[in-house]
Amino acid sequence: MPPRLARNALGLGLRTAHYREILEAWPTVDYFEIITENFLGDALPARYHLDQIKERYPLVLHGVGLNILGPEPPDLRYLDGVAWLADYVKAPFVSDHLCWTAAHGYSHHDLLPAPYLPELLELVAERAALAQRHLGRPFGLENLSSYVEFEQSSLNEWEFYAAAVARAGCHFMLDINNIYVSSENHGFSPHSYLEAIDFSRVLQVHIAGHTREPNGTLVDTHDQPVSEAVWQLYRTAQRRSACPTLLEWDDRLPPLSQTLAELDKAKQYRA
Amino acid sequence: MSGASLPAWLQELQASFGEMLRSPLDRSTGTLRADPSTYPVALLRQALPALDLSAGERLAIYNRQYWFRLFTVLQRAFPLTARLAGFWRFNEYAANFLLAHPPRGWDLDCVGAGFPEFLCEAWSGERARHEEKLTPHEQSGEHADPEALIEAARIDRAYHDVFRAPPVARYEPSANDAGRLPHARLQLSPAVALLSEHWPLAEMRQSALATPGDAAIRLEARLSEARHFLLARDGLQLALLPLEPGERKLLGLLSRGTVGAALAELELTCSETERGELPINTRKWLASSVRLGVWAGANFAQ
Repeated sequence: MPPRLARNALGLGLRTAHYREILEAWPTVDYFEIITENFLGDALPARYHLDQIKERYPLVLHGVGLNILGPEPPDLRYLDGVAWLADYVKAPFVSDHLCWTAAHGYSHHDLLPAPYLPELLELVAERAALAQRHLGRPFGLENLSSYVEFEQSSLNEWEFYAAAVARAGCHFMLDINNIYVSSENHGFSPHSYLEAIDFSRVLQVHIAGHTREPNGTLVDTHDQPVSEAVWQLYRTAQRRSACPTLLEWDDRLPPLSQTLAELDKAKQYRA
Repeated sequence: MSGASLPAWLQELQASFGEMLRSPLDRSTGTLRADPSTYPVALLRQALPALDLSAGERLAIYNRQYWFRLFTVLQRAFPLTARLAGFWRFNEYAANFLLAHPPRGWDLDCVGAGFPEFLCEAWSGERARHEEKLTPHEQSGEHADPEALIEAARIDRAYHDVFRAPPVARYEPSANDAGRLPHARLQLSPAVALLSEHWPLAEMRQSALATPGDAAIRLEARLSEARHFLLARDGLQLALLPLEPGERKLLGLLSRGTVGAALAELELTCSETERGELPINTRKWLASSVRLGVWAGANFAQ
């Protein structure tokens, strides 16, 4: 059985710019999350750093390549690679996104939305269940931030998300910032979203910073501190149930000490 | 693959969404601007407007994200090329490349594969036409010419590939191998690259990395003679080791043919003055290449 994270664990997204600081200082942090695809190849630098860090910290895997809403069923060779990596680092769980990323031979390198319809639930649930079986450990689906909705949708995102996770028997990888970003972009209540979530099935929550564009759109940029509005939503979520909490910071990355200080703020919102 | 496929209507939606993502950004205003009027009509009908933004404006967010993400990937993978060209001009080359070779796999590291070859092909025989398009400032000679940009792209790509190569054991010929080596073909290690430069590009690359920016940097004067290097990974560091012209030529020949054929070709093409020293130099260069881990193996099948 893979190890488990404590429900109050605080983790950080592992980024190459922080490798040196981590390897020199071995900071106190409960766990790191790695981007699965960054470690699927055989490049020496990635493996060298992974080998050192996995000896000191629990690692969880977060993927962007499953393409669960893509035209084709999951690629089993890709899942074999993810399963190997998850075993290699003894990951407590693996997650990916409720979205599509590639279609018709093109890879778009973005997390793209689809219409939310009951007729798609069975297919998504089947694919998520397959991923979880293949990986041999809990698999979490993450809600995405989105900038467009489709006229075909007959379900809210949270209705679709909750139903897909329940049918698959998998888990939520709940991104609090994404809920807030989408709620602002589409004009729904983020609290209604949280109400739909069965927190006993939440593997982890993500927090991150976002940016407001001049046209008013919120964009999930991961390039600044977590906004107060997202922290407040995080507080509401934590009142439902304590969950391992992971800070994502990708662009305009500050020194490790600053990202850890930002992560530490989570404790204030758990009271 | 396993299980069911998506319904046809959703596959069509995804095809038109992909087409929208790959729609080139408009450069005519001096900034990179998404143009929703170019998006598939069927997609515009299915996407919903919200909060004062039209469906096209909503989709444009994804269109911009697609291009800027890939521009950033290529700028980081080709730092010298991007700075020599300046980001504005580099992004134009990158866009042309990505339109011809859109990403097909999940690995972002592979997006730049073939970019130097694309630049070379795109500019082959078109240098005059290209120069006509340059602004007076660019024609003044302060702007990098296409040949330098192609050479810079090859150097950038070599740095990218050598650094990310898998762990590889260096090949050291055994006593048993010695007699068979003339018929063997040596395998160049993926953790090394043979580089040549006609401008001081390796130095300019270090300088560009040390001083980030997006404006074009001035190309230094062309060298009187080409310089040759071995780029080699040592641990997690990259080392740039100077090679003598004959040494560079030998290593290049060895990477393309058998040892015997390479030595014969080297002897045939060297000058009279070089010929006298060739046996000594050849032994020295071969020993050095083995010591530096240039070879990952030898194929004796031929």
